[in-house]
Amino acid sequence: MKAVILAAGEGRRLRPFTETMPKVMLPVANKPVLEYVVDAVKNSGIDEIIIVVGYRKEVIMEYFKNYEDVDIKYVVQDKQLGTAHALLQAKKHIKDSFIVLSGDNIIDQNSISKLIKDKSEYSILIKEHPHPSKYGVVFVEKNILKEIVEKPREELGKFISTGIYKLPSSIFDNVEELTSQGIYALTSVIQSLVDHDKEIITVTSDLWMDIVYPWDLLNVNEAMLHNISASVSGVIEKGVTMKGAVSVGKNTSIYSGCYIVGPVVIGDGCEIGPNTCIFPSTTIGNNSVVHPFCEIRNSVLMDDLRIGSNSYISHSIIGRGSIAGHNFTIIPGKTTIEIEDEFTKLDNIGVMIGEDSTIGSNVIVEPGVIIGRKTEISPLKRIIKNVSSDSKVM
Amino acid sequence: MCGIIGYTGFREAKNVLIECLKRLDYRGYDSAGIGVIDNKLKVFKEVGEIANLEKEIPQIKGCIGIGHTRWATHGKVSKENAHPHTNCNKKIAVVHNGIIENFKKLKEELEKSGHKFTSQTDTEVIAHLIDEEYKDNLEDAVFSALKKIQGSYAIVVVCEDEPRKIVGARKESPLVIGVGDNENFLASDIPALLKYTNRVVYLEDGESCVLTKNSINVFNKNKKEVKKKENIIEWDIKDAEKSGFPHFMLKEIYDQPDTIHQTLRGRISEIERSINFPEVVEKLLNNNINSIHIVACGTSFYAGLAGKYLIEQITGIPVFVELASEYRYFGTRKESSLVIAITQSGETADTLGALKEAKNSGCRTLVVTNVIGSTATRVADGFILMQSGPEIGVAATKTFTSQIIVLFLIALKIAIIRDKLGSDELYHHILHLKELPRQVRQVLDRSDDIMDIAKHIKDSKSVFFIGRGINYPLSLEGALKLKEISYIHAEGFAAGELKHGPFALLTKDTPVVAIITRDPTYDKIIANIGEVKARGPRVIAIADDKDTEIEKHADFVLRFPSNSRLLSCISITVLLQLLAYHTANLRGCPIDKPRNLAKSVTVE
Repeated sequence: MKAVILAAGEGRRLRPFTETMPKVMLPVANKPVLEYVVDAVKNSGIDEIIIVVGYRKEVIMEYFKNYEDVDIKYVVQDKQLGTAHALLQAKKHIKDSFIVLSGDNIIDQNSISKLIKDKSEYSILIKEHPHPSKYGVVFVEKNILKEIVEKPREELGKFISTGIYKLPSSIFDNVEELTSQGIYALTSVIQSLVDHDKEIITVTSDLWMDIVYPWDLLNVNEAMLHNISASVSGVIEKGVTMKGAVSVGKNTSIYSGCYIVGPVVIGDGCEIGPNTCIFPSTTIGNNSVVHPFCEIRNSVLMDDLRIGSNSYISHSIIGRGSIAGHNFTIIPGKTTIEIEDEFTKLDNIGVMIGEDSTIGSNVIVEPGVIIGRKTEISPLKRIIKNVSSDSKVM
Repeated sequence: MCGIIGYTGFREAKNVLIECLKRLDYRGYDSAGIGVIDNKLKVFKEVGEIANLEKEIPQIKGCIGIGHTRWATHGKVSKENAHPHTNCNKKIAVVHNGIIENFKKLKEELEKSGHKFTSQTDTEVIAHLIDEEYKDNLEDAVFSALKKIQGSYAIVVVCEDEPRKIVGARKESPLVIGVGDNENFLASDIPALLKYTNRVVYLEDGESCVLTKNSINVFNKNKKEVKKKENIIEWDIKDAEKSGFPHFMLKEIYDQPDTIHQTLRGRISEIERSINFPEVVEKLLNNNINSIHIVACGTSFYAGLAGKYLIEQITGIPVFVELASEYRYFGTRKESSLVIAITQSGETADTLGALKEAKNSGCRTLVVTNVIGSTATRVADGFILMQSGPEIGVAATKTFTSQIIVLFLIALKIAIIRDKLGSDELYHHILHLKELPRQVRQVLDRSDDIMDIAKHIKDSKSVFFIGRGINYPLSLEGALKLKEISYIHAEGFAAGELKHGPFALLTKDTPVVAIITRDPTYDKIIANIGEVKARGPRVIAIADDKDTEIEKHADFVLRFPSNSRLLSCISITVLLQLLAYHTANLRGCPIDKPRNLAKSVTVE
């Protein structure tokens, strides 16, 4: 069986992190979300994967160039019109029954296996969710799908569609018919099948996680870090303490006096310390340097970073290539953040910094601030509100 | 320059040979052929790409055979001249990469004793010579035949009367053994074999080998059997695939943020403020060096020219950059000088020749290469690997940037050893090195802007590239990239030299690409642009992000991010690569296989 993974979207609500990479490439425990999806699909026995790419497609192709044991083909969706339109791009590669997934939701192998094993022609993976109204809510009778309602205003039900389906190749006829009428969402295609009395069987998924807003990365990172096991390569100097599951990559040096409590993942080619403390649930990307006497907690630090000495970073996300000077201090706390007219209350959040930003020494950031990509912040500033990409704080 | 392959095992030889040849076609692709023993020896050849050959071959069952993809050196491109070549009774077949220098004399002798030749190649001589020496054992015949041959060769031979055996030998041309289970391989290089095995045995110059499907015997030049070590290759076959990119070249351009990390890997430490090389290399750099000679060919030569600026600026040691093909015959050699050879493949014949000459004259030798186990790493006193992974596109991209970075690291190391570099200065260089991947990423993000500019030069007959200081070798490299893949005539000049001649060629239809960094010569190059503009051409300026003046002087501006005067060469190079790529792509050129060119040139 083949699988089609939709990975063409940008993820505007995840800016600034998606300014240079598609949403599916955001790192969780040092692996892009899409790799979790591809792993799960491969491990459930699928031998050919078609990835529909579009926005920043090179980032995906470059990353998966070394991926083994499964044949990956790419098709391009030039304009991101919708999920059904995206799927249509893969038509020429599909002859039989197949599964389709979105590349930006973490899913486990077991759920996909269940979907594949289901004998019916059409089936859908659904999932109970604490905030169903953000998604397509499904109505089910005796395991048969009755209706999908996109983002209902009221609480209608607690099960949602994961957007993962098993479908026959004849679906492309339905997709073509609807897209020719200007309907581009896969959910609408499925709803029209339901309306025409097609039987779509529902299968309940075990693990399914979505990233909608930047801070979701912290929760998903924390959840996925629980699955890591301790494994240490690189050079660990005498006098380093490591407790719990700590994973350290190749060519990484951890200098004397560091104190690391897992779950923590540190990538390849990093330098940490001396005397730096890292606490759960933290991920540090490849080729990053954390200078002496820092404290880092529950944060996602991406590739190619430099964190100056004596910095305190907690509940924060820092995009790749960013540089922070000495005494960079985050004040995590309670706040309300607005993105695209939606307000979200958060109990404990630090800073979110886009890639390639440069932050001077002794900068202090208040809770929930979003700093864009390629910004420059002069030393000794106190940042209390968002800084947009490509701007300077003098 | 050709690619050769041999197989004996349990699979259908035809499929294996074709598959491996497709991975060797960067070494040449004007004609190809295979010979398979299926009871009788059957030979198939075709002009053009390997796909043409594949179409023409019927079903054949044999599980032993040899194959060849050709880049013509002796004799025109034709079916007759394609390999394999056979003896008169068509029982012995040979594929060959290299040049037989005394082939005319040998051919005359063989013709006198009754051998009939069907091609104009030097290789056919080998087939007839083996026939002449053949009694009942193929390897003995090959051994005797090779004694009479002068020149360079890597050969693979099969004989119908001994249908379980392939015999290989090499001298100054590459050949590796691939070790499988119940099957064995011979090939010009490793990527050809990676689909089937990652275990290889390297053959030294002058060695020969006999393979059956479950045995490997290697002999030295005195025919004594030698024990060989098996090596595990960590490259992945996917490294050598396009992974969705339309061309290898584009994929390799996009590889660069990653390959730069790989090149720096384990060699710099930001917290310790140190540069680290293996002990052997550090010892070589630690000696009393009075001067440095860099020898290389093609793109590597330009990397050497850029390296000259870096090493001289940082260490003060004079650096002479020489073309390997000239140096090996005409170069001056001093025992007090360090000779650094740069060769991506480690097999470039001219560079190897220069390296051997230098070594024989008592110079200390260091090679910068991408291929572990290559001939160059075994000839030189020490080697530094570029660690950029296999490069398939004929136009060098990621290996060029890695070469410059290695030369920069060498410069820093020598400066540290000689106490020429303050701790703060070193720290800044280290920080700038670590920023390179992100700067390259930012250039890649501007690919669309670069394509827009490419539209302005794609219909030009000629393009000039100018720069000063380190930007002069970059101009040469930018022009080389453009001409080799887009077939537009392009020349690079030191900006100050334009008025000493090249101006005569300048018309309003000759776009000029000017590379400008904010260094002490900034005003001078602005003046040069003025001189150019006065004659009508459009000027495309390549300038750094912080340059606010340049728009006033140039028609188009492409920006690169930079904090370091010395290391901006890396981002500029990537920008020039994309400019050449997009121009060639807009013109519809065969980017990965430009006409008349092959990836590594293992003939002189």
